[in-house]
Amino acid sequence: MTLLSSLLGDTRQPDVRLEARDLSMGYAQTTIIDDLNLLIPSGQVTAIVGPNGCGKSTLLAGLARLHKPSAGQVLLDGKVIGSLPSRDVARRLALLPQDASAPDGLTVSELIRFGRQPHQSLLRQWSEEDQAIVEAALVAADLVDLADRPLESMSGGQRQRAWIAMAIAQATPLLLLDEPTSALDLGHQIEVFELIRQLAAAGKTVVMVVHDLSSACRYADHLIAMHQGHIVASGTPQEIVTPELVEHLYGVRCTLLRDPLSGTPVIAGVSKLT
Amino acid sequence: MNRTAPHPLLAPSGHHLLRLGRYSLLLHRRSMAIALILGLLLIAVATAILAAGDDTLTPWKALQAALGQGDALQVFLIQELRLPRLIAGLLSGAALGAAGCLLQTLARNRLATPGVIGIDNGATAFAVASIVAVPTSLAPSALALSGAATAAVLTFALAAGGGARGYRFIVVGIAIGALFGALTNLMLARSDMDAANAAYPWTVGSLNARPADSVLLLGIGLAAGLPLAKLLANALSLMRFSDSVAIGLGVRLQRMRLLTLALCVWLTALAVAVVGPVGLIALAAPEMARHLCNRHGVPVFNAALSGALMMILADWLGRTLLAPIEIPVGIITSVVGGPYLLWILLRQAPRSST
Repeated sequence: MTLLSSLLGDTRQPDVRLEARDLSMGYAQTTIIDDLNLLIPSGQVTAIVGPNGCGKSTLLAGLARLHKPSAGQVLLDGKVIGSLPSRDVARRLALLPQDASAPDGLTVSELIRFGRQPHQSLLRQWSEEDQAIVEAALVAADLVDLADRPLESMSGGQRQRAWIAMAIAQATPLLLLDEPTSALDLGHQIEVFELIRQLAAAGKTVVMVVHDLSSACRYADHLIAMHQGHIVASGTPQEIVTPELVEHLYGVRCTLLRDPLSGTPVIAGVSKLT
Repeated sequence: MNRTAPHPLLAPSGHHLLRLGRYSLLLHRRSMAIALILGLLLIAVATAILAAGDDTLTPWKALQAALGQGDALQVFLIQELRLPRLIAGLLSGAALGAAGCLLQTLARNRLATPGVIGIDNGATAFAVASIVAVPTSLAPSALALSGAATAAVLTFALAAGGGARGYRFIVVGIAIGALFGALTNLMLARSDMDAANAAYPWTVGSLNARPADSVLLLGIGLAAGLPLAKLLANALSLMRFSDSVAIGLGVRLQRMRLLTLALCVWLTALAVAVVGPVGLIALAAPEMARHLCNRHGVPVFNAALSGALMMILADWLGRTLLAPIEIPVGIITSVVGGPYLLWILLRQAPRSST
């Protein structure tokens, strides 16, 4: 953690402000996000949660300028994100999409080097800074020994850490992650979430879409709960997660326990509504 | 920002670092070595081809004659007969190789070459039309260019929604290509013998007596296009990732796709105006370049060199195999290139992406 902060700390730009104003998104006739307003708290981990199809991934894609809004706007530091030069945005905001795929044969360190692209140019292809940050990203994601392994030869958890390391190498104050732990087993999930906590401790603002509500409560400072394209609650997990909210979001009854380690809510005793 | 690096600056493994003050260039060692080897091979083969023939010269004599020195008859033989054909082969091969590499990267699919997508056939149909159906005074290059652009635009528009990705694009491209191919055949079938004979080289691909102004145009187009492809290299290598990753790293994807496609149409059309539809070069040359470069990056330049080499070798084979009967270069590339391509595709069977 100290290594991360010391290596990445001074590359950090002043806090960035990411917000959505009256944002609507959708395809053709279908509205997925409906007139939504939010401000991402800086320096914290924000988790977007909600049932399948609630629009959480679409919202993240909108915040990352992957899809254009049908109405309203996403603002990065007060400017409409779609009007900013894409490379400019890439120096402030890194994204790990769910469908991330790399060309065959690419090694871990090659992948991470691609994270430096927004900072490089035709005549500045490699610098001390690039090298230091790529090394720091390898260390932070615990991939030093795997640096020369091709991506396709690695386990799911290692590969996911490699993608996060690429986003780290982008050295942006903002990090957007779409279901970073989907398809990972418990041990690898914890590994990835701990890495995300370290990044937040180093001063990054993290926004992630998370499927599992208990994990979101455990690892996020701020929750945004979505249902049918609307934000139905937002705040700290302790504040907003109640059996009523869980019932509203997922249509199930549950009991809330406290995590013995963190004191955050844990969903238990889930049963169908009768 | 004053950072003290933990280590002196080293080039990433497999690369060579050139530095001058704040400026730095990374060169991929293997790609550079391959370019050097291909370049030398190209010079050697080109010289041998210049020297060989009914009247065989020593390579040295041939080079001298190419520069206008020596026996007047030899100078005529080299400068007027062999050299123009060689240059036409080199340029068109290079353009097709580079264009294939660009389109494969754009579509992220090894099948997506200008020939498969219908760009070759579009260019051919327009060029043939100018000979047999509606004689015009326009240069074949201009017609090939408009035909190629028409095919590319049609393919793109009809594959809309699927974008330049996936099988929709390829299937639509094949259909468009078939349509233009049928149009070409129809025009040939309905025209008289002389016109059909004049148009014949266009349909199989041949380097026999190509128009000099088309070759000149191709040379200019290539001199502009290859450096442009080099400028786009970074964004091209990012296009090999999934779209969202490329956008996340700052690529303006729509603009890049349009630029890449335009460049590809440009190179293909100018080459087809010279040699006709020798589509297999665009399929096999990038494959060879990628294979030689260990699948590193987007080897536009090495694909151009490979394409040039394949084209002049295929043309030479076509002239000598059954001499004095000449086999058009397009038929040779199909006969030789097809099995080679099959071998490559089958060897690394399960992986289909570039």
